[in-house]
Amino acid sequence: MAFLEIDQLHKQFGDLPAVSGFDVDVEQGEFLSLLGPSGCGKTTALRMIAGFERPTSGTIHLNGRDITNQPPNRRHIGMVFQSYALFPNMTVADNVGFGLKLKGMTPADARRRAGELLELIQLPDKGGSYPYQLSGGQQQRVALARALAIEPQVLLLDEPLSALDAKIRVELRAEIRRIQQQLHITTLYVTHDQEEAMSLSDRVVVMNKGFIEQVGPPFEIYNYPRTAFVAHFVGQLNVMPVRVVDAAAGRVALGEQTIILEPPLAANGQAVTLAVRPEELELGAAEGHNNLRGLVESVNFLGSIVRVRVAVDGATLSADLFNERLLTLPKAGEAVTINFPAHAAWVLEEQG
Amino acid sequence: MKRGAFWSWLWVGLGIAYFAIPLIATLEFSLKAERGRYSLAAYRTVLSDPQFASTFSFSAGIAILTILFSLLLIVPTVYWVHLRLPQIRPAMEFVAFLPFVLPAIVLVFGLIRIYSRPPFALTNYVWSTNLLLVAAYMGLALPYMYRSVDTGMRAIDVRTLTEAAQSLGAGWPTIVGRVIFPNLRTALLSGTFLTFAIVLGEYTIASFLARPMFGPYLANMVRNKAYEPAALSIISFALTWAMMGGLQWVTHRTPGSTQVTTGPR
Ligand SMILES: Nc1ncnc2c1ncn2[C@@H]1O[C@H](COP(=O)(O)OP(=O)(O)OP(=O)(O)O)[C@@H](O)[C@H]1O
Ligand SMILES: [Mg+2]
Repeated sequence: MAFLEIDQLHKQFGDLPAVSGFDVDVEQGEFLSLLGPSGCGKTTALRMIAGFERPTSGTIHLNGRDITNQPPNRRHIGMVFQSYALFPNMTVADNVGFGLKLKGMTPADARRRAGELLELIQLPDKGGSYPYQLSGGQQQRVALARALAIEPQVLLLDEPLSALDAKIRVELRAEIRRIQQQLHITTLYVTHDQEEAMSLSDRVVVMNKGFIEQVGPPFEIYNYPRTAFVAHFVGQLNVMPVRVVDAAAGRVALGEQTIILEPPLAANGQAVTLAVRPEELELGAAEGHNNLRGLVESVNFLGSIVRVRVAVDGATLSADLFNERLLTLPKAGEAVTINFPAHAAWVLEEQG
Repeated sequence: MKRGAFWSWLWVGLGIAYFAIPLIATLEFSLKAERGRYSLAAYRTVLSDPQFASTFSFSAGIAILTILFSLLLIVPTVYWVHLRLPQIRPAMEFVAFLPFVLPAIVLVFGLIRIYSRPPFALTNYVWSTNLLLVAAYMGLALPYMYRSVDTGMRAIDVRTLTEAAQSLGAGWPTIVGRVIFPNLRTALLSGTFLTFAIVLGEYTIASFLARPMFGPYLANMVRNKAYEPAALSIISFALTWAMMGGLQWVTHRTPGSTQVTTGPR
């Protein structure tokens, strides 16, 4: 039995199902992200685990205990909110000590423990400050310390970084991961930022329209997306409408050009959609690879990456090249060949 | 001096004069109790009148009870509406507005008709009459109290703060008492202050229920004396200001309660 077992969770708001068939097992100490577009039900799923929302059906077991209908204040689950939600009338130390005093700790012990936590989030001198005297990033650190103070069995975070600016976000997310690993605390993290989900998580749950599309480690989600939605939502994707020519040999046709894939494929003559990541494409011809001729549409210099868009029979493909000082960039309108190995492309299943 | 500055000062001056002249006139009049010279005779009369102290303290007591019960009734109610029933807010606004359009005389007749006979018969005892008085004033104070509580709730993110407290293990009494209420303190000041002033000066209900309130005492004084009512006005004015200062001081001592920003919503 997993540490946190979520079985067939379903939540209906009126006629609208916000979460359907949510079924995930989380191991002790695991960092799991819920990733998906706005409105896909991430927050609703998290709020059911926290106890703020009652599931229409399904169960939640924590450490063998059925907590499905337990009130939130008895679940031992910590929560960090997007808007920080620090108590404005209390100092930082009192905010962190709030849950400890409720657990019956003496004020002196609570103060000492709050001090330790402020040490952990690297704000040891801010205990006497009020929330409004802190920056957004500092406030969110305090909110994290406050949630961790009660030593919850599970930590939930709902887009904790989306109100912060880019630099602080990257800093703080590394900080969250460090603390999570140090305390070995089971964590569920909601985000719509795929980079955040990829860089932080042991496993990612990709959601769409209330359903789970795929659960897996970031590497697997990115490289072996199981649905068209996941493939499109996570990372950049080139898609090509192709026709199967010889299924046994893995041969398909993109307009006039031929592409060899790893068999098996669907029946001959069928139209399918082929996908390949931009970073798998290279400029120039290569022996044993699929070589496609096309015209350069545009060249975008993005810093460490140069994105070259090439129009090939009926599809526009992006190739991401690593920047080098010696690189000669092609020009728009130039005829080029691009190549990718057979294993880099895959057939997208029909849907969404 | 620049023209703009001149006109600004003129308007400020007019504004001050509008409030200050009647006050100064009252003050001046109150000092003329003895013919031909200024004296504090009127003040001496007022302050030595045992009825002054007794009615003032009785009214103040009733006012404090009114504020206390109003808060106990309104804060949890408005909190719950904000948290769980935001769609009935318009209905709440309407109810809270009613005392404005209902004349006090109508209110007091209604109250007496219903509560002075069985099964309630509240006017049979002094303590229960006082209770009725407090209840009536809670009605009068409702618009002000509701408004200030509602404004206060809107300034904080009630729902998220509640959920944060819940996830830390807090039950309802702790949430209301230690998180919601303290963050409303500044917003509540205007409501409590207005309530205090209303109860102190209220005449109609107090006289019909025949309790020794300050309002009827003041009115009686105005009818029978010349200089003393003026002195009394100045005294209540000073007491009012002293109270305001006191409240200011109380809120200033708690820095967290004057700032309620909780970051982006
Ligand atoms: N209290 C509610 N009443 C009615 N509908 C709701 C309620 N809460 C959420 N919904 C609906 O449920 C769906 C899922 O919402 P949810 O907040 O879980 O999405 P989300 O994935 O967290 O989106 P975002 O990234 O924008 O925060 C949405 O269509 C939303 O409108
Ligand atoms: Mg959300």
